Amino acid sequence: MSVKKRATPKKSVSFSDDETITRSRPSSDRKHSVSRDSPPIYVKKTIRTAPLHLLGLLYYYLKLSDNFDAVTLLYLLVPFQIAYLSLQFNKSTVYGHKILRLRTSLVPICLGATLALTIPCLLIIILLGAPIAMLLKETWILAAHCCLLGFPAVYSIFNCNFKVGNFKKYFIAIAVGCWISCVVIPLDWDRSWQEWPTPLVVGAYLGAFVGYSIGPYL
Amino acid sequence: MSPIDVSDETRVKKSIFNSSIEDKRLHWSRLQRFKTTHRLYIYLMGSLAILQIIAIMFFAKGFLLTRNVLDDVATDVLSEQKFSKCVILVIDALRFDFTIPVNSADHKYNPNYHNNFDVFHTYGNESSSLLLKFLADPPTTTLQRLKGLTTGSLPTFIDAGSNFDGSVIEEDNIIKQMYLHNKTVYFAGDDTWDALFKPFLSPSSKPFESLNVWDLDTVDNGVIDFFEQHLLADAAKSSNWDILIGHMLGIDHVGHKYGPDHFTMKEKQLQANDFIKQICGKIDDDTLLVVMGDHGMDHTGNHGGDSRAELEAALWLYSKQPKMWRNFDSSYYNVTSLGESYRHVHQIDLVPSIALLLGLPIPFNNIGWPIEEIARTGEDLDSYRRITVNQIRDYNEVSKVINDPRKKEELEELWNSALLDSSKAYEYQQLFLESCKDLWARFDYSSIATGIALLTASLVLLIIITKLIPSIVIGQMVSEFVPSITIISLISNVCFSGIFYVLHQPAFLGNWFWCSLLATAIGIISGCLITILDRYNASWLCRKFVEDLSDYWSRIAALFITLHALLFTSNSFTIWEDRIVGFFLATLGLLTLYEFTFLPKRRLTTALLAAAMGERRNSAQGKQPLESISESPLGRFARLVGAYHSVVLIMCTRLASTITICREEQGEYCQATFTTANNYSYWSLLLCLVVIAFLPTCVKGYYNVCSSYQAAAPIWIGQFLRWALLVNFVYWAICALENTIPGFSWDVKILKLTISRIIAGFSLIAANVGWMMGPLCVKLNIHNNDVKSQQATILGYTNVYGSQFFLLVINFLLCIMLFNKPLAQISLFLMCNQLLSLLEIFDLLKLKENLIGPVAMGLLAYQQFFSTGHQATIPAVQWDVGFVLTERITFPFTHLGITMNTFGPHILIALSVALLTLWKQPPTVLKPQTLLARVVSNCGMLLIYNTVLCLSSFVWVTHFRRHLMVWKIFCPRFMFASLTLIVIQVVIVLVTIAFASGRLIRQINNLFWK
Repeated sequence: MSVKKRATPKKSVSFSDDETITRSRPSSDRKHSVSRDSPPIYVKKTIRTAPLHLLGLLYYYLKLSDNFDAVTLLYLLVPFQIAYLSLQFNKSTVYGHKILRLRTSLVPICLGATLALTIPCLLIIILLGAPIAMLLKETWILAAHCCLLGFPAVYSIFNCNFKVGNFKKYFIAIAVGCWISCVVIPLDWDRSWQEWPTPLVVGAYLGAFVGYSIGPYL
Repeated sequence: MSPIDVSDETRVKKSIFNSSIEDKRLHWSRLQRFKTTHRLYIYLMGSLAILQIIAIMFFAKGFLLTRNVLDDVATDVLSEQKFSKCVILVIDALRFDFTIPVNSADHKYNPNYHNNFDVFHTYGNESSSLLLKFLADPPTTTLQRLKGLTTGSLPTFIDAGSNFDGSVIEEDNIIKQMYLHNKTVYFAGDDTWDALFKPFLSPSSKPFESLNVWDLDTVDNGVIDFFEQHLLADAAKSSNWDILIGHMLGIDHVGHKYGPDHFTMKEKQLQANDFIKQICGKIDDDTLLVVMGDHGMDHTGNHGGDSRAELEAALWLYSKQPKMWRNFDSSYYNVTSLGESYRHVHQIDLVPSIALLLGLPIPFNNIGWPIEEIARTGEDLDSYRRITVNQIRDYNEVSKVINDPRKKEELEELWNSALLDSSKAYEYQQLFLESCKDLWARFDYSSIATGIALLTASLVLLIIITKLIPSIVIGQMVSEFVPSITIISLISNVCFSGIFYVLHQPAFLGNWFWCSLLATAIGIISGCLITILDRYNASWLCRKFVEDLSDYWSRIAALFITLHALLFTSNSFTIWEDRIVGFFLATLGLLTLYEFTFLPKRRLTTALLAAAMGERRNSAQGKQPLESISESPLGRFARLVGAYHSVVLIMCTRLASTITICREEQGEYCQATFTTANNYSYWSLLLCLVVIAFLPTCVKGYYNVCSSYQAAAPIWIGQFLRWALLVNFVYWAICALENTIPGFSWDVKILKLTISRIIAGFSLIAANVGWMMGPLCVKLNIHNNDVKSQQATILGYTNVYGSQFFLLVINFLLCIMLFNKPLAQISLFLMCNQLLSLLEIFDLLKLKENLIGPVAMGLLAYQQFFSTGHQATIPAVQWDVGFVLTERITFPFTHLGITMNTFGPHILIALSVALLTLWKQPPTVLKPQTLLARVVSNCGMLLIYNTVLCLSSFVWVTHFRRHLMVWKIFCPRFMFASLTLIVIQVVIVLVTIAFASGRLIRQINNLFWK
C-alpha cells in the first residue's frame, strides 16, 4: 500500500480497503522532539574506526593457529580490543559535542559486563539451534567472542549514560555476521573449518569488521 | 438503549440488534451479494488449484520414469535340469549381517539381531550350502523387489507408488515359466505374490494380508502351517507340488514396529532359524532350497531407500547332494566387520540361476547374470554363460532399448568376442546392464518443461490475483474472471483436441486425457490473464510488485521464501532442511522480539501503528476513557505482551526441534529422538498426560486475552478438547503397553479400533457438524442492575471471528492428534502455542495484511512437519498409522490416516492462515466482502510460498536429474513439495474459503450488523 506517495494532503483515490491507514498520518514533528533535550551521541565518520586488527586476528586464526584454536584467539582478542577502543574507537565517539577521554577504571567494569553478557548470548545461540548439552564449552567460547567483539560498543554505552540506541548497530552487525556464516555448516565438504563453532567465529569477526568500519555512516 | 429485562438474554439480544425494515432489507441484499461473491471466489481459487494440480501432473509424468514392458516369453530350454523341485523361502528384510557369525567383541554387535541364524553355517561337506550377500536394486520396497526377483529386470521408481495395489505382472517371469513348464507352484505368505502371480499359482496357495505391520505373527504362522501341511508332516510326502514358495514377514514387521534392536527381533529370527532347519531336514536330494531376503532394513527398521543397510540382503542356496556348488576361495567369503568385503551377487542374478538349475528358459526380460558358484564343472559354467548371453542378446535385439550407435557398436564387439570366449560374455552383460540403467533413467523433457511452465504461470497468476491487485478490486473482478475462465477453457479444449486429433500435435501428450488437461490449463491461464490485462498493464503490475516489497517485514518474508527455495540447490541443504527451517522460525521470533524491545522507527510500521491507533481512537469515541496515548505507538504493556509471545515462539520452536527422526544422511550429527522406544516410553506418555492438562489451559489463556472464553469456547476447549485428548491418550497408552511389555497377551484390537473410530468420527464429523451450527464465543454481560443506567457489554466482542474460527482448527487438531505418535502429539501441543503466539504478535504489530504473516505460518508448518517425526524421504513415512482406523487397507481410512499424519501441520496451517485476518477482528468494522477478500489474500500468500518451494524443487530436481543422490534426496523432496502443495490447495479452497470463511462471515454479519 503506497503510503509514501500520499504524504501531502490532497485529494487522492485509494485502492486500499482500509481507509484508516491513509486517514491519519504520523505527526512529522515527533522526530525533532527526541533530540532536543538529550546531547548528541555519534561516532565520527572517519576511516580510523576500521578495526584492522580483526582481520589480522582472523588471519592468525585461519592460517597460523593449529586446528582453529578459538581459546587462544579469545586471549589475543582482549588486549587488541582494548587497544582498539582506546586508540581508535573512543577517539571517534562524540558525546555532548566533545570526545570523552578513556576512563581506565571503566574498562575492567565493561569487561566484566561483557563477560556477563556471554550468558544471554549463549542462550540466544542455543535457542537458535546450537546443541544444548553437547559442545557447550565451544558454544560459550563463541558467545565470548561475539560479546568481546562488541566490547567497544559496550564501553561506549557505559560511557555515554546508557544510551543504547546509537550502538545497537554494532551488535546487530556481529549477529548478522554469525547468522550468515551458518550457511557453510550443513555443507558436506568435510573440512576441518566447518566444525562448530569455527564458521560462526569467522562470521562474527567479519560482521564486526564491517560493522565498525561502516557503522558511523549508517 | 431501551430498558431491558435482565433475565431474558434473547430479548436483550433482540432489543440490541433491533432496527428498521429498511436497514434489514439493505443488510439482506448485501448478504446476498456476499454469497454470490463468495461462490465466485471459490470458483476462482478452485480453478487456480486445478491449474497447479495439472502442472504437477505434467511434471510428474515427465520426471517419474517408466519402463516399457515387453510381452515376449522365452521358450528355448537349453540347460540340463539339476533339480526337479524347489523350495523358495523369502524372509522379508533378512539383512545380510543377520545371517553371518558376528564376533561379540565387534562394536556393532547387537545380541538382538546378530548370531541368531546358525542354520546358514552349520552344514558341512555332506551337503552343499552357499551363503551370499544379495544386493537389491533401489527402491527397496517389497513390490519392486518381487518384480526384480522374478523377472530379472529393474523396476523403475514409478512402481513405488503402486505398492498398495500390485497388479498382475505382465512381463515374462520365472513363476510364469514354472507354470508354463507344468510345474505346480504352491505359495503361502505375503499377498503381494497373489496380486502379482495369481494366474500361475496353484489354487491351494494361501496368501495373507501383508501390510498390517503391527501384526507380527499371522503371516509367519500361516506360512509355517502351510509348510507343515505340505512338506514337514510325514503324511505330506504325497503333496504334489514342484515349487513351494513361502514369504515370511515377521522380521520386516518387527523392524517397522520396533526397529531391529528389540527382543521380539530375536524371537522372530530364532523362529525362522528353526523353521529353516526343519525344512532342511525334510527336503529330498532332488530339491533345491533357496532362502533369501528381498531387502535389508536401516537402523530404524524401515526400508525403501538405497542405503547400504537397506540394499544388503542375504541369499542361501542349499542342496542335500554334496558338491553341488563350486565355491570360490574362502577369502571371498570374509565375514569380518559384518561381512563388508563378502562376495556379493545382485538380485537380478537369481532368476537366471534358478532357471538354469531347474532347466527352465531364462525369462525374456532378464538382464542378470547366473551366479558362478552354481556351475559344478567348467563345461557347465561355459554353457550357462552362453545360454544367458544369448538370452540377453535376444532381449536386446527385440526390445531395441539401445539407440546410441556408439554403445551399439561396443556391444556388438563384446558380443563377437563373447562368441569366441564365453568368459567375455560377462562384460557384455555388464555393459548392457549399465546402458539399461542409464536408459531407464531417461526423462520426458517436454512434459517436464510443460509442468514447470504451467506452475510458473500459476505462480504469476497467484501473485497478481491475491497480492498485486488490491483485494477490494478483485472482489469486483471475480464476476469477470469466472465466465472468462470457463469460456476460454472450453474454447481451448475444442482447439487443442481438434489439433491433436487431426495433426497429432503436440506429440508428447500421448492421448486425449493429457491433451484436455493441457487445454484446460492454458484456458485457465489465458482466461485470468485476459481479465487482468483488461484493467491493468504489465508495467503497473511490476511497479506494484516492487512497491509491495518496499517495507521491512515484506522484505524479511521475501528473504525467507527465497532462502527456503534456495535450499534445494544443494543436497546438503536439503538434508538439513529440518534444522534450517527451525532456525528461520527462531530468527523470526528474535526479530519480533527485537521489534518489541527496541521499537525501531520504520516508516511504514510506524504509519501502520499510528493508523491503527487512530482507528481505535475513532471507534472508541466517547464510549470509554482512552488509555493515555504515549509517545511510542505501542504501549508499554503491548510491548511486554509482544515480547512475551516472541519468547514463547522461540522457546517452543527450540523445544519442538529436539524431536527429530534423523535422516540417514545426517549420520552422526543427528541423534534420533523420535524412536519407537522413546515414543512408547513412560516419560513420553507422562508428557502426553501433561499435554492433556495444559493444552486446553493454554488455548483458554489465549482466548482470555479478549475475554472470548465464553459460551461455546468452554464446551469446545474445556470439554471436547480435554476429553478427546484423554481418550486419545488411552489409545496410545494401550499401544505403548503392547509394545513395551513382552508377552502382552490381551486382545485389545477391538478396544483400540473402537476408541480410534470414536475419536475420528467425533472430530471429523460430529464436531464439524456442531461447528456448522455456529458456536459463538460471546456472552452478554449486563452490569448495573439499578433501573436507571442499564448497560450491556458483549464479552468476546473484539475476537468474535477468531475465537469461533479457532474452534474449527481444534476439530482438525483432535483428528490429527489421533494419527500422531506420542512425541509428535507433544510437538503439536507446542505448535498450538506457536500458532497462537504468532497470531498475537502479528496482531500487535498490525501486520495482518503483510506478507510475513502467511510466510511465518508456512515456516511453522514445515518446522512442525519435521518435528512430528517426518523427513522428506520415503522410508520416513509412518505407514503404520494407516492401520489406526482399520485392520486392513480400506480405501479412505488408511489413506486418511497417512495423510493426516504426514500433512497434519500443513493442514492445520492451511486452515488457520485465515485467522491472520480473523483473529481479534471485531465485527462491523469491515464489510463482509472486504473480510473475505483479505482472507483470500492471506491464503494466496501461503499458496505463493508453497508454490515457490514446489517450483524450486521442480527446477532443481530436473537440474540434478543425473546426480548421484537424485532418487534419494531430490526426488522425494520434489514429491513431498508437490503433495504438500496439493493438500494445502485442497484444504484452503474447500475448507478454509468455501466451508469455513463464508459460513462464519455470514453468520457474524447476520448477528452484528449496522
